[in-house]
Amino acid sequence: MSGVVKGLPGTWADTHRGTAQPGQPGMMDARDRVTGKVDYVINMTLPGMLHAMVLRSTAPAARIVRIDTEKARQVPGVVTVLTGRDIVSRTDVRSHFGPVFRDQPVLAVDRVRFVGEAVVAVAAVDRDAARAALDLVEVEYEELPPVFTFDEALAEDAALVHPEPPRAGATFADIIVHSQAGSNVCNSFTLRKGNIDEGFAQADHVFEDTFTCPAVQHVPLETHCTVADARTSDIVVHTTSQIPFMVRSQLAEVFNLPASRVRVVVHTLGGGYGGKCYPNTEPLTAMLSFVSGRPVKLHLTREEEFTAITRHAMRITLKTGLRADGKVIARKSTCHFNTGAYADIGPRLIKMGGIGTGGPMSIPHVWIDSYAVYTNLPPAGAYRGYGVSQAAWAYETQIEMIAQRLGRDPYELRKKNLLVNGETNATGEIMDDSHWHELLDEVAGKIGWTWPQVPQRIGNKVRAKGLSCIIKGTVTPSASTSMVKMNEDGSLNVMTSSVEMGQGLQTAMAILAAERLSMPVGKVLVSTPDTAFTPYDQQTSSSRSTHSMGMAVTRACGGIADQLLAQASEALEIAVADLELRDGKVQAKGAPDKSVGYAALVQRQKGGNLLATGEYITGGGLDPVTGQGKAAVHWHQAAGAAEVEVDLETGKVDVIAYEAAVYAGRVVNPVQAELQAEGNLAFGLGHALFEEMVYDNGQLQNGNLGDYMICSFEDMPERVGVSTLEEPVLNEIHGIGETGLPPVMPAIGNAVFHATGVRITDAPITAEKVLRGLRQLETARLAAAAVMAAAGTGTAR
Amino acid sequence: MPEPLRLFQPTSIEEAVAVLAELGDDAKVVAGATALTLLYRQRLIAPGALVSIGRIPGLKTIEVVDGELRLGALVSHREVELSPVVRGSIPVVADAFGKVANVRVRNAATVGGVMAESDYASDPPAVFVALDAVVDVQGSNGKRSIPASEFFVAFYETALEHDEIVIGVRVPVPPAGTGAVYHKFVTRSSEDRPCVGVAGVVRLHADGTVADLRVAVGAAAETPQRFRDTEALAIGKPLDADLIAQVADAYADQVDTLDDMRGSAWYRTEMVRVWVRRAIESAAAAPAR
Repeated sequence: MSGVVKGLPGTWADTHRGTAQPGQPGMMDARDRVTGKVDYVINMTLPGMLHAMVLRSTAPAARIVRIDTEKARQVPGVVTVLTGRDIVSRTDVRSHFGPVFRDQPVLAVDRVRFVGEAVVAVAAVDRDAARAALDLVEVEYEELPPVFTFDEALAEDAALVHPEPPRAGATFADIIVHSQAGSNVCNSFTLRKGNIDEGFAQADHVFEDTFTCPAVQHVPLETHCTVADARTSDIVVHTTSQIPFMVRSQLAEVFNLPASRVRVVVHTLGGGYGGKCYPNTEPLTAMLSFVSGRPVKLHLTREEEFTAITRHAMRITLKTGLRADGKVIARKSTCHFNTGAYADIGPRLIKMGGIGTGGPMSIPHVWIDSYAVYTNLPPAGAYRGYGVSQAAWAYETQIEMIAQRLGRDPYELRKKNLLVNGETNATGEIMDDSHWHELLDEVAGKIGWTWPQVPQRIGNKVRAKGLSCIIKGTVTPSASTSMVKMNEDGSLNVMTSSVEMGQGLQTAMAILAAERLSMPVGKVLVSTPDTAFTPYDQQTSSSRSTHSMGMAVTRACGGIADQLLAQASEALEIAVADLELRDGKVQAKGAPDKSVGYAALVQRQKGGNLLATGEYITGGGLDPVTGQGKAAVHWHQAAGAAEVEVDLETGKVDVIAYEAAVYAGRVVNPVQAELQAEGNLAFGLGHALFEEMVYDNGQLQNGNLGDYMICSFEDMPERVGVSTLEEPVLNEIHGIGETGLPPVMPAIGNAVFHATGVRITDAPITAEKVLRGLRQLETARLAAAAVMAAAGTGTAR
Repeated sequence: MPEPLRLFQPTSIEEAVAVLAELGDDAKVVAGATALTLLYRQRLIAPGALVSIGRIPGLKTIEVVDGELRLGALVSHREVELSPVVRGSIPVVADAFGKVANVRVRNAATVGGVMAESDYASDPPAVFVALDAVVDVQGSNGKRSIPASEFFVAFYETALEHDEIVIGVRVPVPPAGTGAVYHKFVTRSSEDRPCVGVAGVVRLHADGTVADLRVAVGAAAETPQRFRDTEALAIGKPLDADLIAQVADAYADQVDTLDDMRGSAWYRTEMVRVWVRRAIESAAAAPAR
């Protein structure tokens, strides 16, 4: 155990320092965003640009018998009408795409797999003409047996969503593929640590419980939008993407072009939350432009956005074995993720979600089977939390159920098991920067955790508190690269392909660059991505950008610093070792009067500007069978505590207080760090209490914002506390964009249990479920009382 | 290409009615467009013509005349919510309109619109039914007045003829000493429509017996539900817990509750029981005016 401890106990950052360091903004473009000055792709027009609209499948599973587009082509203003067959019949393009499996057709070919799938696309001079044309398209379907649930999809005689095994293609290095031909299992992931049978044999208590979460939608304010221009032999797309280089590689493949001739330009996004990671509107828009010879814009309606991409519904069964002293020694988890009709990134997500079920505990014997299952529902993909929200809902609920069965304090039971330095997690990685104890203690202290939880009764309402604590990885291996140039006046341009989507990426990068070069943030401009000009970044997701791109930018700035020091050394005739960067100047250490400004140094070098690059590349990977190895370059850590008030007559839950604690390693911008935590709470609160995509025979019943509810400001707790933990020795940035989300659902669920005795295992925790639970408890109490009374009578006789 | 949507912007009620009479069901009246836009975008309706009544003068009045609060059809929800005239005469009306959706919707949605739409999950209808409001309408055959309790016929269906438009709502100001409340119960986001909404009106004699009791339940069935026989049973009796429970149980028994994403029929029945009781309790305790 000795020698592995790198990180020391942390110190709590003051997240209420106002607007960060003097001169540092909370978020640089906040004012422009709220006053409508930020330019989104939605606002973009090009000369001669056409507008696309899409006819979508009304059947969850069907053979396309016939498509008649003749009348649609006659509509004035219509330039191109396209079907999947039109694309397949061309020899110069490919008809399918997908980040792991090339299973998704640009337009449905002969078969539809979910309600909402794109079947026919029209490009016309305006949306009215396009819509009129779509109304005239005739499609005849022959319905096929659909599968929606895990049980339906995994039945022995289940109809196959993809009768032909999907074609695999180039993908990310960390993805492990175990597809099962002839079944609806899209991919599976296995983890084997220790000896699970031995583990359960040694256990004094074994509990098995099943948990479910429904599909939910990202609901970004800005829906997917792409403007594609394939007029020349190159393809240029302006698009709402979190991963511009993935869009580029996929389009290069579809159009048989060198990557250099596909240019993907990303403006700032109006929210992403994982929903804009993988190609969506891009291949179709580019295809329409390619065929029509005109620029084309496709902007999804809110209704279309709801079925464009979703968060996986999941079912997780956890079998957990403990010794009598409360130490968890074995866990077997079976995880099913409903990936919908197309794989998207499901094959990778099941890995992180599956590993996630190991929890922030050192369990010697772990067995995980995690499956992505094809169904005839809209595709599910990346979503803030990346499978770990669902995993945490399972394990942080189960740990409390176990505590209750054993009559133990759930806080103490966690403390008995939380990872510490030197112990190993599910993937067998030795922890060297563990802070789970500090995080749990922080939220428990701030919420005022006591045991036993005695519900506080106020009229018809009861109040109580609940806890949770989670572990989450970040994509590994991964790579970020950046380029910086210092201009003749000493100002700095940072070129990066990380995407600003409202999370404050540009501000964070500007702060890090300004810190490294000791210059004002206001003199730094951070680019948006343009794959023709900005260097590679793997993805703006997985809570990785501030860490990964931050390292790349800092290193690039280090290259500039070296050049400045070399120039200054010559100019001042002082050794580099005796110089330092200070407030836009290079100066002699201890002699500030001997200095020279950056502008003069850039001019002295005579190159017009100083250029430097920086990169940050992590290594790792897992054994494809045992799932042992390195799953994450470091581990994200968070805890949450909720206090709820439950109306005993209605079952309605109000979250009245929430405490979030997250390990940040180093806080770059306290304002943004706190806002990320609040955003996570807003997401998690909706997931906990009411968010749910409701389907009837594959048809979404609440695909608009009148029927689908997200958390509003009025739903947020009156009291919200955010604690961010820093570790000054390692001083390493940990991503917090998602980290605070997974604790929210179980913390609320656990508080509801302590308030009412009602345990909900199928999210969301609706008022109706709670009321039914209360009624069942009452029935059971009355029955028990009747038994007692009968027994009492018997004794008397 | 199909016919483009025709837009009419009449400047008098007569002109509007004439367009409706001529075009029949093909024309839809539009004011704030908060409901119509959703229905249109989801292609649940496909009108050939829209008759926008926003330019008709005289439909934006809020006044108390002859013991009645009169709200013009084009008064927005937000105006009702903030109006000193409404707050000073029948504050529960302002409260109920203030609980609809969010401020952006309330700025656009109108009094006439929420009546004519007859959405079962709107808040104001139950309040108007409980307060014995009257809906004034005008059509080819002239004006007529329809009691709110008879105005809402079914899902998205009212007593309006196709050539009639709502021109206003009149609400009798309850006698001094009357308490009136509207409880909106949401099961999902706070911006959701009600799972159930209950309007309660109570006036007690000095001896604590019931002089007046009116209860209307919204969002639980196709139309606002009011049971006058049940109300009548309470008159003259002391308003104690037993009586309130009797009324609440009678409502729970009689409302044929519906099932939707906000709650099952079973749950709604239970919520009718809870919220009718709470509405009567709080109306009885509401500051007398």
